[in-house]
Amino acid sequence: MKKLFSLAVLVILSVFLLAACGDDDPEVEMTDDGKRLVTFWHAMGGGPGEAIDEMVNSYNESQDEIYVDAVYQGSYEELLNQLRAVGGTSEAPSIVQVYEVGTQYMSESGFIEPLQTFIDGDDDFSVDNLEENILGYYQLDGDLYSMPFNTSNAIMFYNKDMFREAGLDPEQPPRTFSEVQEYSQQLNDATGEAGFAILIYGWFFEQLLANQGGLYLNNDNGRSAVADEALINGEEGQRIFEWLNEMNEAGTLGNFGRQWDDIRTAFAAENVAMYLDSTAATRGNVEGADFEVGTAFLPVPDGMDPQGVIVGGGSLWMTNGIAEETQEAAFDFIKYTADPEVQAVWAGATGYFPISPEAYNNEILQDIYEEYPQFTTSVDQLQNTTLTPATQGALMGVFPEARNIVENAIEALYQGEDSQELLDQAAADIEEQIERYNQQQGN
Amino acid sequence: MTDQVAAKQLMDPASRDKEKRKKARKNFWTAMLFMLPAIAIIGFFLFYPMFKTLYFSFFVVNSRGDTISFAGLSNYLYLWESSTFRTSMKATFLFALYTVPTTILVSLFLAVITNEKVRGIPFFRVAFSSTLGVSVAAGATIWLILLHPSVGVFNNLLAGIGFDRIGWLTSSTWALISVSITTIWMNLGFNFIILLGGLQNISEELYESARVDGAGYWTQLFKITIPLLSPTLFFVSVVTIINSFQSFGQVDILTGGGPNNSTNLIVYSIYREAFESGFFGTASAQAMILFALVLILTIIQFKFVEKKVHYQ
Amino acid sequence: MMRKVIIYILLIISAFLITFPVLYAVSASFMTTQEINRGALLPSSISFDNYVRAFTSVPLFHFLMNSFIVAFGVMVAQLIICSLAAYAIVFIPFKGAKVMFFLFVSTLLIPWEAAFLTNYITILDFGWVDTYTGLMVPFFATAFGIFLMRQQFMTLPNELWESAQMEGCTHFRFFLSFAMPLSKPILSALGIFAFLTTWNMYLWPLLLTNNDDVRTVQIGLKMMISAETGTNWNVVMAGVVMVLLPTLILLVLGLNHLKRGLTQGALKG
Repeated sequence: MKKLFSLAVLVILSVFLLAACGDDDPEVEMTDDGKRLVTFWHAMGGGPGEAIDEMVNSYNESQDEIYVDAVYQGSYEELLNQLRAVGGTSEAPSIVQVYEVGTQYMSESGFIEPLQTFIDGDDDFSVDNLEENILGYYQLDGDLYSMPFNTSNAIMFYNKDMFREAGLDPEQPPRTFSEVQEYSQQLNDATGEAGFAILIYGWFFEQLLANQGGLYLNNDNGRSAVADEALINGEEGQRIFEWLNEMNEAGTLGNFGRQWDDIRTAFAAENVAMYLDSTAATRGNVEGADFEVGTAFLPVPDGMDPQGVIVGGGSLWMTNGIAEETQEAAFDFIKYTADPEVQAVWAGATGYFPISPEAYNNEILQDIYEEYPQFTTSVDQLQNTTLTPATQGALMGVFPEARNIVENAIEALYQGEDSQELLDQAAADIEEQIERYNQQQGN
Repeated sequence: MTDQVAAKQLMDPASRDKEKRKKARKNFWTAMLFMLPAIAIIGFFLFYPMFKTLYFSFFVVNSRGDTISFAGLSNYLYLWESSTFRTSMKATFLFALYTVPTTILVSLFLAVITNEKVRGIPFFRVAFSSTLGVSVAAGATIWLILLHPSVGVFNNLLAGIGFDRIGWLTSSTWALISVSITTIWMNLGFNFIILLGGLQNISEELYESARVDGAGYWTQLFKITIPLLSPTLFFVSVVTIINSFQSFGQVDILTGGGPNNSTNLIVYSIYREAFESGFFGTASAQAMILFALVLILTIIQFKFVEKKVHYQ
Repeated sequence: MMRKVIIYILLIISAFLITFPVLYAVSASFMTTQEINRGALLPSSISFDNYVRAFTSVPLFHFLMNSFIVAFGVMVAQLIICSLAAYAIVFIPFKGAKVMFFLFVSTLLIPWEAAFLTNYITILDFGWVDTYTGLMVPFFATAFGIFLMRQQFMTLPNELWESAQMEGCTHFRFFLSFAMPLSKPILSALGIFAFLTTWNMYLWPLLLTNNDDVRTVQIGLKMMISAETGTNWNVVMAGVVMVLLPTLILLVLGLNHLKRGLTQGALKG
């Protein structure tokens, strides 16, 4: 009996030890029916999530050598946290969707294989087919590290019925900061609900900054050299904070927190008349509303021409901890996602832009744009954008943290703290994070 | 039996000693064998990580656990100077202050009213302990909708009686209170069970003799129940404080540490520092601070309980 | 009489307040989206559509199975491993028994939340991310379990072991045929407690599960929140009810055992 017992303990122990010595050489993972397995992490829930599943299904059915397994990992931030935890190991997925501000971090993370390597080795695929403004964001020193996947920008949605109720012309949405202020006052007076709202998400601050031609970081937004200074406390940033502050004090600004769904629910429930959102919300907003939905360009400070917007959204990255055959399979799928026809279906289902201009000629997409003219606002806004360092967007390894810092500052602003002090503090905090990041990277 | 004793007596002292040592050695190895799995698990997943975390806290460490460079005390100095960490510590202590006394008072109240001899008590006991079966994820999700800005029951109720809606989770003033209410609710079940057990351990004769002496309900409560329950109360309060320092799930689901870090409790702060920012060194330093806090509290408890045991 | 009425009133009000969130979740899981948006408290009709959707939109059944496997595994392992260690401390006279007990109990001072960073790296090095093993093994032994079982074994008379020894019974045999069967009530308390705490774990599975194969239901719930909240609170609530059901049933069935076990652990320290 005792022998049996000691045997059991021995077995437990050796399992323990063996597991510790597992080797790390990547193997080609196969499905049960002999296809190469490509795992794909994404951050698209709800409607866009279903659209991804459809895209992956039709890819899997289109050939019989590769099987793509799409796994939803929560929000962009949650996905990146999960990835940081396993990146660079064999536990990492083959393809990950990372939001645009993770670009610098990912390129330096050591987890990834630059896509340019594969693009250079592939004669059939050329980046010339992709939209220039989108490439402008994702190219680093002329190399494409990841494939743009879902691109969007920020636009204003407004409730035309509430406009009528307040005696405003529903076809004349506000274009400037002070018009937004006046309109929200009138809307608030007439309906008692919030006139205007912005989701507390750093992305909107970045967009409003770029639309004024303002830089987020020095060294051309970190594109000509590594940035070490945050410029958000300049006059452009100050204008945004003052604008928000004045509406907040007037009681016409709604605060619906940091959750996308909460502000969308509020818009659908007519608790707010105008708000900024990603173009990806277009379809959901139009279909979910009992009222007429209008879309408008991002507002600018008075007397200023809009400079355009930064391409937002996410791109697909290939990891380097996986076997080479798996990487090849992953690249095959990535190429598939960039196909104009696939892009057209995707854009139509979600409201993201197609990454290749060719897709606009596709019939599916044209039909949808006809049915939902609201889509075209964002397309126009993107095409009116002039490519400058400001609208190319900032690059830094600590962008997620920087966003969080700006979001905290906005929340403090809503509690009545001084806007200039908040921006100065936020800029200093971002610079400190950059410094810590550089120290960590051994730069 | 007698045979063995006889055999032992027959042996000379030297071989008896040898026999004894052999027995002791055999016992030692049997005991080790019995304890081996527990030693392996606890040593490997609790002792070792504590030392490793301490070690990490003096280095710049990336999220792979690779030490980049020696940092000396600079991780701790960074925390000392960081306003974010100060906010987080303040939130942690405030959170303990909001949740611990309330949880204990409410669960004591529930335990006292269910210690009455009336019909239907088992039903109420199950109802009051039910939150022990509610996981942090499920509990926080329910409160997420109860506190929802536009469709939540609380705001609908307020709007219904003509008050302004409250940003339960979006305003810095309310968010920590909302997270606290959720936490109090979730902790009631556990505390209730322990306190009820403590109440039932108090001998009925004490109450009977008190009644003979003409003591009323309140006298009995404050002269018998509370004093005799005090070791249990103390145990419960320390466990609740330690639990409150370890809260994570409700913050992750309800607020994500916001608004403006007002609910960035220490474990959430560790998680963010390590997995959102990738600074394992400073995250480890925070973990050591958490460890020190829990250590101090537990030592206080052990001292106190020792005393209590003596006087009972 | 008056006193009884007051007690009942207090009991009923408290019971309502405490169970309200769970009752609301059950109620909301039957509502339509419109009813939730309107702020209704009760559904107008009972339909299981939301449950069907909860089970089809995410692999909820699979998540429930994962949680069950992990919680059951940890429970069984804890019962065996903690009892073995406690048995050695109580019944086997050896040098260092006191030290070992002290060492075990001292781990009560180490909050898991202070150790999870390093443990995460360990699990990563072992290649145990996304495995049941990684989710379970770190919790196979707890100071609380060893402590509880030691308290229990100390109540067994030592003469029992002495006479068993005379019959030629080994420690392992005695452990299996006497010590364990005589400790059934405490074992079930520890078992229920281990099952509940493992089922309810959040931080560890959040870090450790990246795919649906091993994801536990708690993390599945978080996924549901981020994917469905915009429009489908009712589906999320159906998910919540499915998560609550097993533990609530276990609690109702095992409440008395649990109370005895926890009180013993708490009060005799």
